[in-house]
Amino acid sequence: MAPTRRFELAMSPHVGASQTTRKIMFDVVIALLPALAAATWFFGPRALLIVFLSAATAVTAEYLCLKFMKRPVSFALDGSAIVTGMLLAYNLPSGVPLWLPVIGTAFAIVVGKQAFGGLGHNIVNPALLGRAFLMASFPILMTAGWAAPEAWSSSTDNSWGTSGIVQEEMSTIPMADAISGATPLNVLKQTFDLDASAENARNEGNIAEAESLEERADGIRTVLSSNSTYMNLLIGRSGGCLGETSVILLLVGAIYLVMRGVLELRLPISYLGTVAVLAWVFGGSGWFDGDPLFHVLAGGVILGGIFMVSDMVTTPVTPKGRIIFGIGAGLLTMVIRRWGGYPEGCSYSILLMNLVTPLIDKLTLPKVFGEVKKNG
Amino acid sequence: MSLLKDLTKGIYRENPVFRLVLGMCPFLAVTTSVENALGMGAAATFVLICSNFLVSLFRNIIPSKVRIPCYIVIIATFVTLVDMVMNAYLPDLHRSLGIFIPLIVVNCIILGRAEGFANRNPVLNSVADAIGMGIGFTMAMVVLASFRELLGNGTLLNINVLGAAYQNQPLLIAILAPGAFILLSFILGFFNILEKRKGGRQ
Repeated sequence: MAPTRRFELAMSPHVGASQTTRKIMFDVVIALLPALAAATWFFGPRALLIVFLSAATAVTAEYLCLKFMKRPVSFALDGSAIVTGMLLAYNLPSGVPLWLPVIGTAFAIVVGKQAFGGLGHNIVNPALLGRAFLMASFPILMTAGWAAPEAWSSSTDNSWGTSGIVQEEMSTIPMADAISGATPLNVLKQTFDLDASAENARNEGNIAEAESLEERADGIRTVLSSNSTYMNLLIGRSGGCLGETSVILLLVGAIYLVMRGVLELRLPISYLGTVAVLAWVFGGSGWFDGDPLFHVLAGGVILGGIFMVSDMVTTPVTPKGRIIFGIGAGLLTMVIRRWGGYPEGCSYSILLMNLVTPLIDKLTLPKVFGEVKKNG
Repeated sequence: MSLLKDLTKGIYRENPVFRLVLGMCPFLAVTTSVENALGMGAAATFVLICSNFLVSLFRNIIPSKVRIPCYIVIIATFVTLVDMVMNAYLPDLHRSLGIFIPLIVVNCIILGRAEGFANRNPVLNSVADAIGMGIGFTMAMVVLASFRELLGNGTLLNINVLGAAYQNQPLLIAILAPGAFILLSFILGFFNILEKRKGGRQ
């Protein structure tokens, strides 16, 4: 199956398709470019450098692996390695040292993809595996490198940016100095911590302290659910990984992919829908008072929902299976965000669902035409 | 000579970890440092030699229907011995190996050699087999532990090898559980390639 040739040997009936791996992958690369522009604008040219290094490493690692395994090296240019490299870079904070994307991408390609037999045989999304590898190996670098977007862009009006307002709030929170440039979800996590300490204080009979803590948590929540926060999240003026912040430009990429017939909407919609519903139910201080809009706009779920949940290799092929996958990933994302140790659960939720993809496919296999149900 | 063959086969040709893929639990769990690996290897080798010796000695007395409980009693005796001696004289090592010392009782290499070799071979051969298997197990543990300690901590036998700069940002995953699995798979893959190159000759 050379990347430029159509798959030709099959039983009838035949339906011709002009889609090839190379075309699809380069469509994905094109769809990723608007978000890259936003990353460069908000986080500086360093973001561009990280993405470039990551993509170059991916192609080089793929080439070396194919050479080592004596397989056609032209596979290295089918675009899938570039997509993996770019997606991994999009999952990194902009402040990481430059060797980090190189190591992460090399691991993603060598262990995550080629060790399993190359494109189409990998069981989990290589880019997300690379991210999980980096998170386990370099937890400090992976979570301390958040740069506030204002650091680069020309505007100095800090009060307008999410991190500006929120950091002012954050400075009143004990231990807030442990986070350098907070991401919106870090801040949200702080409100849960405040709620917990408020409850503790209340149980100890310290009503005044409990009330002040609750007030502070509510104050932050009000800021997070304000229109200016939504606006900043939409255009990408918030702390976070390189490619996840600019929702609008990610959506531009998604529209392009849908128009090209590459992105099938069942997965992203079931995923983001589940996140939104669960955010409304569990995302606030009590029941049914969460902010679904904030949860969908903040963090990596838009990036994950468009480019990772819909990865063709590692997600189910049946329509029903795709919806199950999306719901499962959304559920896990919200469980990690609300009760887990990490502020964001997007990548781990997709990795976990990747592992059960073969089972989902098996369970949702459509009935063969004319088949009669056994054990009637 | 078959005695020599019994001694050497455990080291490479029937290496308990890399060729038979036995004893994975201690192998993956305690290989976070070379020191732990050596300690575990020595403890397991001691138990292996003693249990193989006794099982082989009593192989005609132990009724075959209850042979597994008998092996367990023999093995557990020596494991308790090791546990107590180590606790008394090497408390630091004992602490870092923790639960995996008592767990030698259910180590499938030891049980496997008792069941698969000692109960049908003479005493001398069984002891030779146990020494070989013990060396093979210890070597395998040291190989994986060297990679893990070097990558995950920058040290070998607690001596700084890769420098302070590396130790600030080591490849932490190597001494975590996933790192053990990933490195094991690479080592097993390497041995499979080696075996393939040899052209399938046994």
